[in-house]
Amino acid sequence: MSVTEQGLLEREKDTMTLNMGPSHPSTHGVFQVVLEMDGEIVRSAEPHIGYLHTGIEKTSENKRYVHVIPMTDRLDYLSPPQNNLAFCLTTEKLLQCEIPPRAQYLRVIMCELGRLGSHLVWLATHALDIGAMTVFLYCWREREMILDLNEEISGVRMMTSYIRVGGVMKDATPEWLSKVRKFIDYLPEKIDEYERLLTRNPIWLDRTEGVGVMTREEAINWSLSGPALRASGVDFDFRKKRPYSGYENFEFDVPVGKNGDVYDRYLMRVEELRQSRSIIAQALNSLPDGPYKAEDNKISLPERSTLHTSMEALIHHFKLVSEGVSVPKGETYVPTEGPRGEVGFYIVSDGSNVPYRVKLRAPSFMAIPGMCKMMDGSFIADVVAVIGSIDIVMGEVDR
Amino acid sequence: MTPEEVVEKVKSALGEDIQKGEVNLGDAVIFVSPDALHKVAEHLKDAADLKMEYLSDIRGVDYLDQDREPRFEAVYELHSFEHDHSIRIRVGMEEEDPTVPTVTDLWNGALFPERELFDMLGFNVTGHPNLKRLIMPDEWEGHPLRRDYPLTTEDVAFSHNREYKSELVKSKPPTR
Repeated sequence: MSVTEQGLLEREKDTMTLNMGPSHPSTHGVFQVVLEMDGEIVRSAEPHIGYLHTGIEKTSENKRYVHVIPMTDRLDYLSPPQNNLAFCLTTEKLLQCEIPPRAQYLRVIMCELGRLGSHLVWLATHALDIGAMTVFLYCWREREMILDLNEEISGVRMMTSYIRVGGVMKDATPEWLSKVRKFIDYLPEKIDEYERLLTRNPIWLDRTEGVGVMTREEAINWSLSGPALRASGVDFDFRKKRPYSGYENFEFDVPVGKNGDVYDRYLMRVEELRQSRSIIAQALNSLPDGPYKAEDNKISLPERSTLHTSMEALIHHFKLVSEGVSVPKGETYVPTEGPRGEVGFYIVSDGSNVPYRVKLRAPSFMAIPGMCKMMDGSFIADVVAVIGSIDIVMGEVDR
Repeated sequence: MTPEEVVEKVKSALGEDIQKGEVNLGDAVIFVSPDALHKVAEHLKDAADLKMEYLSDIRGVDYLDQDREPRFEAVYELHSFEHDHSIRIRVGMEEEDPTVPTVTDLWNGALFPERELFDMLGFNVTGHPNLKRLIMPDEWEGHPLRRDYPLTTEDVAFSHNREYKSELVKSKPPTR
């Protein structure tokens, strides 16, 4: 504002700057967006990030490979197994080691449970942002069961660190597997319940249909990934196209949308809940027997029981605990399909037991400029719907 | 297309712009100079048989004390959804002036990762519409992901502790 000659206040521009965040309930963490408002209409949106920067990439350059895994949990903290898996797959690619089938299946079960948990939190908060309170409570109820399953297998409810280089942390017990079975038998009915509340609800349709539209070309150009990309009509899923960790053994559909709006992104994720459930069911049905981690004791710890009888096992155990795995020199990247899209680590190794450079490809980070593009020209109330539909997690944005 | 075919195709189409092409652990990798980057990226994106229409990620690497030239590198990962293949472009940059041209005119998705290159590694991205710090505060000094950036506490302006040394402890090699 400036003062005119007559002493009146004069506005310098016709728009109003509105600061949303960094502490705002619908920004899902500490995300700030500065909106230029023309009445109710958003003219431009500028994202500001970095409020949750913890320097995980820098810290990783100073820790052994096994110590990086617990930090990867804290990147995308809604689906920790996916980050563990992405990091371990890349390390294993550099190590060129074989993973036994049982370990691969257990990894798939954990990742899909993580995806279910992540999508449930997304559905809960997205619906709450738009004003549907009930769904929030229902989804939290089911997610609690996933956290209980996490706790039973890894000892931790959220930051599981269950997937390790060479396999998994420990074998799954028959009791745990039967509990997973019970959970996935219980789930479909609940997914129908969410859908009954939302999918054909006129208020939900009014708030989501035709909002935050991205065409196929735009979605590709703005580097969206995962469900947001598929909602715009791109049929691409790394689990199908570049199968890793035994995904080629499972039959599942990849839902593809056509309108690329908030409603289509909602439909994609709800369908993914069903597909993830089906993948877990198939993995439980055909779970192979055998070791749960690589046989090579230079990569994974020898069995505890062998330490008292085998000198070699003792040496391997000592070397692995005191020094860790030394990874051959090189650099590589393995893309995986996380709940939000393409997750992968670019790891540069200098041949030592500490990674030289670790870089996360975070789907939320890459999606933020595109998300702000979607807000242009929309109503301010739709900003909340758009942020919710992209499902950003600030842990992996700021790293 | 297999990675070998991708590398061969790119090499035959672009000739001397490609310094080196190889298949590394099953991934197609090409080495390009900063001057040729934009031309190569444009070709990869538009050529009908390559169609690398998706920019997956851009990373910067600081190869300090690694007995290799040049010190800095920017790495671009591209996917093609139509043909289901990928390529990695590695762009080496001299230590004195690490500069790459922007690819934001080809991919809007490059807006954030290029700012991150500038913020965390101090690369100069020419032509970027909004090149300022992204993750670190605007007034921050230094580029944290460079290997010679110390891994210590922040400097404190004032302290009651007389023993306190205001100078940052110089970087130590990481404990192995």
